[in-house]
Amino acid sequence: MKTILTAMKISISEVMETMFFLPVEFLEKPAQKQIKALKGRQSRACCLDFSGDGSGSVYLLVPTPLLLEMAGNFMGEPGEFMGDELLDGTLMETVNMMTGNALRKVNAKIPFELGIPRLVPGSQFPETEGTLIIKTTGPEMAVHITLG
Amino acid sequence: MISLLIVDDSLPMRSVIKKTIRAAGYGQSEFLEAANGKEALKLLKNNWVDMVLTDHNMPVMNGLDFIRAVKADAIIKTIPVVVISTEGNESRVREFMDSGAAGYLAKPFTAEAIRDLIVKFLGEASYDEDYSDSNENLDF
Repeated sequence: MKTILTAMKISISEVMETMFFLPVEFLEKPAQKQIKALKGRQSRACCLDFSGDGSGSVYLLVPTPLLLEMAGNFMGEPGEFMGDELLDGTLMETVNMMTGNALRKVNAKIPFELGIPRLVPGSQFPETEGTLIIKTTGPEMAVHITLG
Repeated sequence: MISLLIVDDSLPMRSVIKKTIRAAGYGQSEFLEAANGKEALKLLKNNWVDMVLTDHNMPVMNGLDFIRAVKADAIIKTIPVVVISTEGNESRVREFMDSGAAGYLAKPFTAEAIRDLIVKFLGEASYDEDYSDSNENLDF
């Protein structure tokens, strides 16, 4: 778990800075109440399964105001005017890039397969070990890795 | 003017790639879009493009199967197909290239990397800026 969490942190930084122009910092091993507080906000969540040397799932939980900012930076136009398809698409592409980039970093020689990202209710975001809270210049978001 | 087909199941990603290419100087480019390999093959039956940029991880038909189908078609097999994907471990990239892909770019990518790809396969001359410069220098 430690190896993939380390790779995921580097990956998240690269994706957030390269594609969304947002520098990030991490809060590792957040308390359950911090995760619950994030889940209590208006947010969107998605999940992506992966398999290969190891298998598991990556969950991404993003508060709506931050997703609007990310989508706006990504697409180069105000996120406030974007519909659900673009916002959800941005969310799912984000988890796709974060996960694929992280798995390449764990071991570039070992093949892996990614599933198709799917939207999930924010309430399904796990509150167990394997969660990173990601601090941005605005709202915080969270990533969780479940290993199978 | 260049004509490109972008194949990706993510609408935002297709939009970002288009905008990046336009911002790189190819303002008059013509874009076709498909959400998976099967849709892309249908488009290629009736439209000629200079280059294809495709994701791998898509529903219905993934990028690898799409490349194999393109390269098996006598008419469209000469079109360069470049993979832009998160799935880029060494064996998968080798599989893309062995199947006939012309190149590979990992996501996340920079605008410069996209521009370099277009220049590599379609050449500097297709820059709209170069095009307008050359028009000014035409001797009638």
